[in-house]
Amino acid sequence: MKLLLLFALAAFAVSLGEIVAKPSSTGFKVGEPFPSLVMPSLADGKPLSLARFRGKKVILHIFASW
Amino acid sequence: MVGIIQEQHPDRARLFMQWKQMGWPILVDSLNLLGVAVVPITLAIDEYGIIRAVNPERESLEKSFLNQTYPKPQGRAAAEIRLPDLKKLKAEASAGSASSWRTYADALVVWGGENRLDEAIAAYEKAVSLESAHSPTYFRLGVAYRNRYESSARSADDFQRAVEYWTKALEMDPNQYIWRRRIQQYGPRLDKPYPFYDWVPTARQEIQARREHPVSLLVEPGGAEFASPLKAFVKDQPVRQQPDKGGRVLRDKEGFIQAETALVPAAVAPGESLRVHLAFRPNLQRKAHWNNEAEDLMLWADPPQGWEVNSRYVSVPNPKTAVSQETRNVEFELKCPEKAAPGSVRIPTYALYYVCEDVNGTCLYRRQDLILEVQVKGAR
Repeated sequence: MKLLLLFALAAFAVSLGEIVAKPSSTGFKVGEPFPSLVMPSLADGKPLSLARFRGKKVILHIFASW
Repeated sequence: MVGIIQEQHPDRARLFMQWKQMGWPILVDSLNLLGVAVVPITLAIDEYGIIRAVNPERESLEKSFLNQTYPKPQGRAAAEIRLPDLKKLKAEASAGSASSWRTYADALVVWGGENRLDEAIAAYEKAVSLESAHSPTYFRLGVAYRNRYESSARSADDFQRAVEYWTKALEMDPNQYIWRRRIQQYGPRLDKPYPFYDWVPTARQEIQARREHPVSLLVEPGGAEFASPLKAFVKDQPVRQQPDKGGRVLRDKEGFIQAETALVPAAVAPGESLRVHLAFRPNLQRKAHWNNEAEDLMLWADPPQGWEVNSRYVSVPNPKTAVSQETRNVEFELKCPEKAAPGSVRIPTYALYYVCEDVNGTCLYRRQDLILEVQVKGAR
């Protein structure tokens, strides 16, 4: 339930700079692995990757603050 | 819940997250390494890193994803999370392909800090010289130029170069909305889909009301980044005579104030508008200061016949201190005539300001002439 609440919050967050994404236009395909990119963490600038969350289900939100 | 933010200025995203009290982990993708063309995108990813749903329905998420069991794929180990080895990437690039130059440049921008932006720019330029048809490289090259523009290693034309590379990338891939928004962020109001950072003042107020200190922004959003969209160009009403019609004010030949210009977009079709960005920086080598006890900085634009301007006369209010050394930014918009011929058009402008040589030095009233070169494309 907590996860669903966060999901709703995230959806609100992105409504500012929303460019409506249609499922076919995202470039991501069900069944494929998510790319193992290492990027800076917003919190402290240290390297972070989705690999950190292996073993857990993740709801990933790709968004913008503009 | 994990996020990836498409944002050139991570501190702005940090302010946004503070405002909305969202504490989940966020990865910053300022170069658009993910290659997404739109936002938002939501993915449901299983325990093994496999995408199980794209933009799933919120209502059925629990049943369709959270309560599901997924098979463990064979031979998929989690990648190690570590900083890239820049020396190794450089060695690979030196012997290699456009792709290896691009990878090296990406790593320099993301992990190298502002001192290595010159190298990053050179590496991207090497990549495009080897592979000129790869549009993301041009976008990232634009990001690197804009980063350098906002750093202490700035070159005067860095912002304009950023706009030119973003424009080139978008021309090659017009469906890339992340890139389109990057240009619109700084562009004219006729081309804006919405104000980009108008939420910043509200965010700060609400954070302060909670007795918290808002995250500081390294670069404050400028006029274009707050401006609302317009459906029609609003032409300036003549409000006053031009301030130095006869050109009698002495020119700033000493170079007390250094001016930078950027046009967004860099080229317009007939009937289109553009936003002019001007930055005036006191020359620190000459210890130049603004004299704030005199009149405000004034800018006058004098476009040729047929061109419209939203504000022919712009002034920048002085701060309350007697002297200061801040950069003063001026923005205004121009509209190209519907029947303009292709080619280069010169837009004369000039700034008038009071400047002092050092804190207790001589103060002078000076004029600086600036010619804006606007490229007019063929008819749409």
